[in-house]
Amino acid sequence: MTNVQQTDTAKPKGLKAVSHPFVRFGIGSWLVITTFLLLTLVPFVWLILSSLKSNRELFSNPFSFPSNWSLANYTSAFAAHPLTIYLRNSLLAALSSTLLALTAACLASYALLHTFRFSRGIYLFLIFGLLLPVNAFIAPIFYLIHFLGLYNTVWGLALVYSGISFPLSFLIIKTYMDTVPRELLEAGRLDAASYHRIFFSIVLPVSIPGIVTAAIFLVITAWNELLFASILTQDQNSQTVQVGVRYFLSTYSANYPQAFAATVMAIIPTVLAYIFLSERVIEGMTAGSIR
Amino acid sequence: MATKPQIALYLMPATILVLTFFVFPLLFIVYMSFHGWAGLGPATYVGLDNFAYLARDKSFQLALSNTLMWVIAGTFIHTPLCILVALILARRPFMWKLFRTIFFLPNVISATAIALLWYFLYHINLGLINRGLTAAGLGKFGRAWLFDPNSALGATMLPWIIYIGFGMVIFLTQISTIPRELYEAAQLDGATLWEQDWHITIPLIKRAIAMQVLFVVGYALRMFEYPFIMTNGGPANRTINLSLYIYRQMITANQYGLSMAAGVVTLIVGAVLLSAIILVLKRVES
Repeated sequence: MTNVQQTDTAKPKGLKAVSHPFVRFGIGSWLVITTFLLLTLVPFVWLILSSLKSNRELFSNPFSFPSNWSLANYTSAFAAHPLTIYLRNSLLAALSSTLLALTAACLASYALLHTFRFSRGIYLFLIFGLLLPVNAFIAPIFYLIHFLGLYNTVWGLALVYSGISFPLSFLIIKTYMDTVPRELLEAGRLDAASYHRIFFSIVLPVSIPGIVTAAIFLVITAWNELLFASILTQDQNSQTVQVGVRYFLSTYSANYPQAFAATVMAIIPTVLAYIFLSERVIEGMTAGSIR
Repeated sequence: MATKPQIALYLMPATILVLTFFVFPLLFIVYMSFHGWAGLGPATYVGLDNFAYLARDKSFQLALSNTLMWVIAGTFIHTPLCILVALILARRPFMWKLFRTIFFLPNVISATAIALLWYFLYHINLGLINRGLTAAGLGKFGRAWLFDPNSALGATMLPWIIYIGFGMVIFLTQISTIPRELYEAAQLDGATLWEQDWHITIPLIKRAIAMQVLFVVGYALRMFEYPFIMTNGGPANRTINLSLYIYRQMITANQYGLSMAAGVVTLIVGAVLLSAIILVLKRVES
């Protein structure tokens, strides 16, 4: 049986905690850690600092701290392009696709709690998409969204996101729901609760942790998506912030610090979520790694 | 008691999503890859012409070989770096949890933003990288990284190679399941930390390595944002990959049939690499 891996928690099950790291731990190890810390953090710090500078200061002094800390680029970014609308579209697409994928995944996971003749086959059918690189499908999906009359709408985008992310969200929720004690279901049946009642009042409430993990994965993936967003949208009716930030560079008078400010706006929601919920986010994003 | 119609009802939304977004597109691209189609109007059957065209097309050859380069770099540079950092953090040094959280950060940031950011890091005047080289007295190595045919492909891959957080978490999770008695026995025998890693840890994370290589393949086949934003495939197609080729044939050239034939090749490449990984894992494990 597959098992979604648990991200390791503070409890050291494997290696002994090293009591005197600087003694037992070679200088080489610290060099490696420091190198990767710098490689990871310096670019992002530079992005944020640069977004607070004027264009002229950026070119004359790209590495200094801003001479006066000002949010002027942020205000002008919102004025130069419909950034608010892009952000709203991203939010709508992310939330509605998440809702749809979660609904489908919860219903299917519950149905597959019952074993019947084709249950294994249906399970495999529902997850086989995990192995497919969906970017190979841009033409048929483009055609389909046109056919449904959803081209250039946030809803078309949301539908596509819920579809392409469905297999993984289903796998996360199914794996969690399988750990629900069978006795709970039996108890429900003895109380003569209906099939639907058992789902809504017993199975769904105890599955919430699995649902939250899947939701985090779904929201972040949808928020960050670019390929389908750029193919299925045309104007600010439906363009998301990932599509929109590129306009800050394609205009003939590119204002780099303003583009940086827009980029920061595009990443701040997921980064904030990560700062507050880092363990859950790591769990959600790596839930696809199955033993 | 659950009845058949009830179960069918609960399976319906999921089935519709999978049929719509996986089964239909899969059948559609296989069928259409044998047709010439401009997106509008009727499609004409052309047999294997699309595939013959791809085989001759220089830009497709580059797209295919560049995608394989992503797989190779991911497997032999990125993955060992992930393992290295995981082995170090598995010893739980001071503040290891914070390091783990920081290393994972790029995975929640959109690839679009990372590509834009690195585009500027490579910028010839503004860029952190050239300025850094100059400051280190290595200014003669500075160049227009994304526009120089010799460095462009490597430059578009670099951010992915050094953002080791995702793979590191996979390995760290796997390492944390290894019983500590194994290490205690080795310590009694006087094995150093690196010897323990090499002889105990590495052999026990083989499955995680296979899993990570699988992710590398998936990532390389899906990678779109970095080349699209940093170079748009240039200079002279040096950085084009399969995703970008599929996108271009469809959006820029309106060659839907060709685009979908390239999609079919992408699926085949994925299937071949997947089988290869499973084969190697089986052989190593037996």
